[in-house]
Amino acid sequence: MVDERLTRASASHSRFARKFADLLSRWAFMVPAAVLLLAVLAYPIFYTIEISFSRFDLATFSAVEWVGWENYAHVLDDYRFWESMKVTVVYLVFALPLQIVLGFGIAFLINAEWRGRNVVRALFIIPMVVAPVVAGGLWRMILDPLWGMVNYVLGLVGLGPLDWFGDPTLAMAALIIIDTWRWTPFVILTATAALLALPRDVFEAAEIDGANWWSKLWSITLPLLVPIIAATFVVRWLGAVKMFDIALAATYGGPGGATNVINLFIYEEAFRSLRFAESAAMAVIILVVTMVLTALFLRGSRLLEERY
Amino acid sequence: MKHTMKNSISRRALLAAATIAAALPTSFALAQNEPVEIHVMANEAFSNVIQSSEVVEFNKHYPNIKVTVDGVPYVELLAKMMLDATSPTPVYDVLIVDDPWTPQLAEVGALQDLKSAEMAGFTAADFDWADFNAAPLAASEWKGVQYGVPLRSNMLMMFYNRTLYQKAGVPEPTPALTWAEYLEQAPKLVQDTNGDGKVDAWAIDTYFVREPLTPTIWQTIMNSNGGKLIDADGKPAFNNEIGVAALETHKKLLDFAPPGALAHGFTESLQAFRQGTVAAMFQWGSVYRSSAVDPKTTTLTPEQVGIQVLPAGSVGPGAHRGIWSGAVSAKSEKKEAAWTFLQWLSSKQGETWRTNNLGTFPARKSTLAAKPESEWLAPVFTSLQLAYDVAAKGEMWRIRNPRSDAAQQILADEVGRAMAGRATAAEALQTAAEKIEKVLN
Amino acid sequence: MSAIAQNVTHKRKSRLGARLRISAGVIACFLFLFPLIWMVLTSFKEQRDIFTMPPTLFFTPTLESYVTYLQRPDIWKRLVNTVIVAVGSGVLSIVAGAMAGYALARIRLRGAGTIGLLIVLSRGVPPIALAVPMFLVARKLGLTDKHITLILAYCTFLIPYVMWLMRGFFLSLPRELEESAMIDGCSRFGAFFKIIVPISLPGLLSTMIFSMILAWEELLFALVLTNRNASTIPVAIQGIAGDTINGANWAALTAVGTITVLPVIVFAMLVQKWLVQGLADGATKG
Repeated sequence: MVDERLTRASASHSRFARKFADLLSRWAFMVPAAVLLLAVLAYPIFYTIEISFSRFDLATFSAVEWVGWENYAHVLDDYRFWESMKVTVVYLVFALPLQIVLGFGIAFLINAEWRGRNVVRALFIIPMVVAPVVAGGLWRMILDPLWGMVNYVLGLVGLGPLDWFGDPTLAMAALIIIDTWRWTPFVILTATAALLALPRDVFEAAEIDGANWWSKLWSITLPLLVPIIAATFVVRWLGAVKMFDIALAATYGGPGGATNVINLFIYEEAFRSLRFAESAAMAVIILVVTMVLTALFLRGSRLLEERY
Repeated sequence: MKHTMKNSISRRALLAAATIAAALPTSFALAQNEPVEIHVMANEAFSNVIQSSEVVEFNKHYPNIKVTVDGVPYVELLAKMMLDATSPTPVYDVLIVDDPWTPQLAEVGALQDLKSAEMAGFTAADFDWADFNAAPLAASEWKGVQYGVPLRSNMLMMFYNRTLYQKAGVPEPTPALTWAEYLEQAPKLVQDTNGDGKVDAWAIDTYFVREPLTPTIWQTIMNSNGGKLIDADGKPAFNNEIGVAALETHKKLLDFAPPGALAHGFTESLQAFRQGTVAAMFQWGSVYRSSAVDPKTTTLTPEQVGIQVLPAGSVGPGAHRGIWSGAVSAKSEKKEAAWTFLQWLSSKQGETWRTNNLGTFPARKSTLAAKPESEWLAPVFTSLQLAYDVAAKGEMWRIRNPRSDAAQQILADEVGRAMAGRATAAEALQTAAEKIEKVLN
Repeated sequence: MSAIAQNVTHKRKSRLGARLRISAGVIACFLFLFPLIWMVLTSFKEQRDIFTMPPTLFFTPTLESYVTYLQRPDIWKRLVNTVIVAVGSGVLSIVAGAMAGYALARIRLRGAGTIGLLIVLSRGVPPIALAVPMFLVARKLGLTDKHITLILAYCTFLIPYVMWLMRGFFLSLPRELEESAMIDGCSRFGAFFKIIVPISLPGLLSTMIFSMILAWEELLFALVLTNRNASTIPVAIQGIAGDTINGANWAALTAVGTITVLPVIVFAMLVQKWLVQGLADGATKG
């Protein structure tokens, strides 16, 4: 009798312990990432928000006086901020879909089973590795109307020369081309990995059912790929919003601000003009806008995932 | 045991230092007793030269001062300097600062007054302040205090390609050449040199792109016509007829520049000139060697390349100052060693050595007047001296203000807009004046 | 027509299709590589021969830029630093990020979704705003100019990417995999490391390559957080590009650019091989 009660107690105790251990093991997956990010990011984000509402003292690199929304008012009053926002939207609207479609398209192309597949896949990642300054400058060199290869070839067939960096529309096109050249490889890399991981038996079953290439792609491959396409889009979106290095190296934000993307403007305000408070105010605005849009995209991708 | 050994080493070092000091004709009396190490922050463009040549030569005279030079890429140098200098315990003892930075660094208390009583004790008796040209020395002065000494002097000059001038039948420029004359000649300098019916040489290339140095061209044109960037009260003074006309002249240059010049800045105009594609270039004097002398970098020779001040306006010829000065960090604990290093670099002896061995441009009247070892430097020095005088007279330099880089960025944006035709010269200057007035006050 | 004949024509047709697909892929690859071919060509040119009009394809190659820059001790040191930082942050972020991604995709956990969302949203902060305060913290802790500082800083932008990408990969795995493993008595960790990780190897590796590349070419944090000891190659490249005395030396820039690309290519080739093997293993097990 006593024994029995004891075992029951220890059983409930161990059940509790097991439940606790289970919860712990669940959380153990999430905790490292969360703690690391919290430790490294918490203060910088707090600092940025603080100085965006303050007068900034360069002698101590800290906030000295609460000024409320003044820095924000300055920023919102500056036509350059709004122009940069417009430029950024144009760049994103063209560059993102282009890169996703091109990336998955090329991934489908090279995914056939052949010997050179690995080499081609490895070669595709090089554009990402080249330092932005070098990449930007290289494209400047290639597209230059005087000594550039592209205009020389265009000239041979009687076209051009195109003033790629002197015309606002062409400069934006050049920026999108360079960015697409640099980051489509990321999409290709992820897409090929996703294609490799697809379960083979489903396709074999479909083949037996006599499904053709197109219907396999449309009704099997794409739905299986939805989570990864959505994830790739979100990652690329978060990267593209922050792009400024290529603009700095290739177009200098010109001609006359036509490619001055918002992060280039923030960078110049902070590192060239040493206006850290205004720059922080812009950073906070961008943070909020990006958060809202990202949340929308995540919602959208969750809906897509549920549908398929 | 250990103690005596250390002692004997330092005594030996001292002895060595004393012998070298005695053997030298100069009278820098500051032989350091104990080895010290100082850290220098410099532009990565020349930090390597300082470390591998200048420090080595310096150590022949001062073996006890170990100098470590860290280079930072130019674009981020000022921000990085600010971050270090405002720390309670900065890493760097010597800061090598660009022309417009002294007010910004001095305002946050980062720089040491070199003529203060404290530093006077460390200054050699024969360190000749009066020998410096006024313009380069003024680059590191702010509110009457001298914070630095000129180390790498540079002026915006006019380079010209004699071959292309002769081919076009246009007389070579002289300091008397005016902007009106130049613009009249420019169409003739856009020419077809090989007779295939296609234009292959243009009159000019310089800064047109959206970047902080592009406004210096406009400013030089304005200055040579008597216009000023800032008035005596520190308010923008460029938003007037002279300023607008100068910006229109700057934009007019695009008509005679090669295709794509709107995106050209420092590197691109340099490349076009070195390839013999443009007859003239407004550019920093320091590029003379790589544009006219070094066969690895240029297709031109010193005989082909002339150099002089920029064309004249109603007041006289133009130039624009760009001086790198050496300054001592105000919080450094090794001020004596730091200042000794800077003194040697900028002394008559040090400057002459650097000019003859490394080709750096001097700031001292005596060095400029002496015959340089390389023949090609002689005409360059003559023009440099004239440029110093012109710049000092017309205050041809960027805004002197603790917020000068913010103002320069605004100018870059607005001049860039005018160049690209996205605003008229008058609109751009109006916007710039409003914004700069807000920033400076 | 017999079923066999039909099958043969079908196969022949699909082989032709595959060949077309492959050639299109190779052409696309060449287009992407063209600027890089130009980079390598330029790196063998004398400076004088780079900006010629019209562009030169034939010239006397010189190794001078390589020799000059490979002799500079700081280039080697920076190359080693770049490797340390890229590998360190790549590995740390793939471990932490993949576990978090798995938690989001497969583990029922109240609150985890919110944390995951916050982690992704933290990527909305422009990096320019983070660099200076990170430096101030590092200075206070005496951690400036150290590899670990740079590794941790890079993890802040790598972990969210890794987490989100891996979540996508894990979601497309059949759920029965770990369920059967756990019924077999595997712990949650056991199931993750023994079953899930091997079968997700393609995704894990491509994500890790991506993270390492991002760390490899990062400039802003490297500039602000390091001086000398932990300085990386992109800083050196930025220095060459920003030569205010003689103008950017494009022979040097492209040479150093080529030198920086090589280790990554070699690494990617090696990993690719492993990737296919890992997949074969996973497939036989599955």
